[in-house]
Amino acid sequence: MSVTEIRVEGHLSQIDDGWSFAWLDQARGTARLSRDGRSQIVLVEGSGTDWTVTLGGRRIAVTVRTWRERVLAEAEVAAVAPGGPLEITATLPGLIVGVEVTLGSEVRQGDPLLSVEAMKMQNEVRAPRDGRVTTIAVQAGETVARGALLLRLD
Amino acid sequence: MSAPFDRLLIANRGEIAVRIIRACAELGIESIAVYSDADAGALHVQMADRAERIGPAAAAESYLSVEAILAAARRSGAEAIHPGYGFLSENAGFAEAVEAAGIVFVGPPPATLAALGDKLAARRTVAAADVPIVPGLLVPLGDPTTVGLAEVGFPAMLKAAAGGGGRGMRRVDRPEEVPAALAAAAREARSAFGDATVYAERLISPARHVEVQLLGDRHGNLVCLGERDCSVQRRHQKLVEESPAPAMGLALRAAMFESARRVAETVDFSNAATVEFLLDDSGHHYFLEMNTRLQVEHGVTELVTGLDLVALQIRIAAGERLPDGVLRVEPRGHAIEVRLYAEDPYDDFRPVAGTVGAWQLPGGPGVRVDAGVTADTPLPPEYDPLLAKLLVHGGDRPAALARLRRALDETLIGGVQTDLGFHRWLVDEAGFAAGEYDTSLVPDRWRSGPDLGPAETALAAAAGAAARAASGTAARQPAVRYDSAWGRLARREAIDR
Repeated sequence: MSVTEIRVEGHLSQIDDGWSFAWLDQARGTARLSRDGRSQIVLVEGSGTDWTVTLGGRRIAVTVRTWRERVLAEAEVAAVAPGGPLEITATLPGLIVGVEVTLGSEVRQGDPLLSVEAMKMQNEVRAPRDGRVTTIAVQAGETVARGALLLRLD
Repeated sequence: MSAPFDRLLIANRGEIAVRIIRACAELGIESIAVYSDADAGALHVQMADRAERIGPAAAAESYLSVEAILAAARRSGAEAIHPGYGFLSENAGFAEAVEAAGIVFVGPPPATLAALGDKLAARRTVAAADVPIVPGLLVPLGDPTTVGLAEVGFPAMLKAAAGGGGRGMRRVDRPEEVPAALAAAAREARSAFGDATVYAERLISPARHVEVQLLGDRHGNLVCLGERDCSVQRRHQKLVEESPAPAMGLALRAAMFESARRVAETVDFSNAATVEFLLDDSGHHYFLEMNTRLQVEHGVTELVTGLDLVALQIRIAAGERLPDGVLRVEPRGHAIEVRLYAEDPYDDFRPVAGTVGAWQLPGGPGVRVDAGVTADTPLPPEYDPLLAKLLVHGGDRPAALARLRRALDETLIGGVQTDLGFHRWLVDEAGFAAGEYDTSLVPDRWRSGPDLGPAETALAAAAGAAARAASGTAARQPAVRYDSAWGRLARREAIDR
């Protein structure tokens, strides 16, 4: 796992590997954070990409994403328009491994639409909302560029 | 000395119930807690010798139900009831019902609660006893409202006659604001106290909020146990209290103590009460109200006097005399209390719900914590979000402030946003540190707190990223070394998973 994006209260933050970290009580989120021989106790609660860091009593939302999670999250945000036709595009260049839907199929939010292999990892592209597949622009085995149209939902 | 009672019921919850349970334990009294369905696992229920269920989560059907509490007292054979603060503590009808049931009410006589519960009637009585009151009306504000308010002047404060706790209060700066403010205050007063009567006082600004602690027995002894400055407030509700009040001259203190005694002498007073005053910037004090109960902030007075006010309340209720040592006590040093609330100070002190996670409260010399929760305690949305009170005592104000700073830095509370960060800011706020502050401190100087700084942002980012990298590894890897090699190993392990 390699972290490529950290957001603090929604704002992009620098990645800085100079700190060392050790849990004191992981279940309750207490940990020791050190740098250059100086350390302090911090409270870090959460899991996966979403964490809350409490510093001086202030709860601060921190999201920590790998490159893959970032791309998927961006795709989700970009795709979730409330209604009308929706274009699903490739958020990263890759190889289409599988197409899980057929023209005209009704899909529910979260249903798998396509599998894309990128960066040696296979990612599922899921339906950002309910809809009907009106266009399938790619087929298995095809290589797509970033931004290429994959399919349309209505 | 023998125990004043065998069994005492505590008609309250949270930290004050725990406080009273502790006093009972030291006095050799069996403590009986009461609880609603939301509190079945609460700390006060765990700590009491016995516990009685009194109803569902809604306070009106549990902690505010006279019938439910009396039934619990009868079932458990309680000889006395301590009401704590809030809920039924100043309810004369409750005190009467308790006494009618042959149970001792730990507090002033019911008639005294009734006389002082009506803030407007209290203003009339107190003014007649030559105690300065906040200038304003002695009668309810009715129609035509502008006539009464013209005498008071603007800006003015509209207040509920049955009021307390900052509810039913509205500031009005101009005559045209009066109708809407009056309607709002009356509505709030009706829903909070069942009485829509509103009166008006002149707004004293700037003002300090200073109160005098009184203790009296049933044998005519009355003692002033010093004052507390409670000017750090949001929504007219206190966040921080200290004793002695900063920059309080001897003459002013003597005058306020004399006023407090005169207020107490207007009624048949015994047990514990607090007389609240406003102080203006030219050193005049004005009576606000008398609270006929233990205050949240009583611990501040306990630290400077070395007395146990709750134990003394119970002894007084049992008919004992105040000992000479209490009547002649001289306060020593300086004490400060900060209230730890589940509130978001970065969002207008909005109360927050949730479950407490980590709970590491400070210790060491001169530090006292009165808590109503512990780690993993759910916070019922039905009740006040007070989690704990952190109190410090030092030889003088700078020593107490240094101790408070240290104690706050030791405190870690997880799961919910608290006002801890506000208190930490306050300790180093120039005006507060100098003892120069008034009730405008929170609205004028804190507002919604400072923005997140670059150092905090970087630290939060580092902590979040490192926590993610190290999550899932701690169970296998004891956290014995804190060097960076360990951190790198933890990250590598997380990557390899």
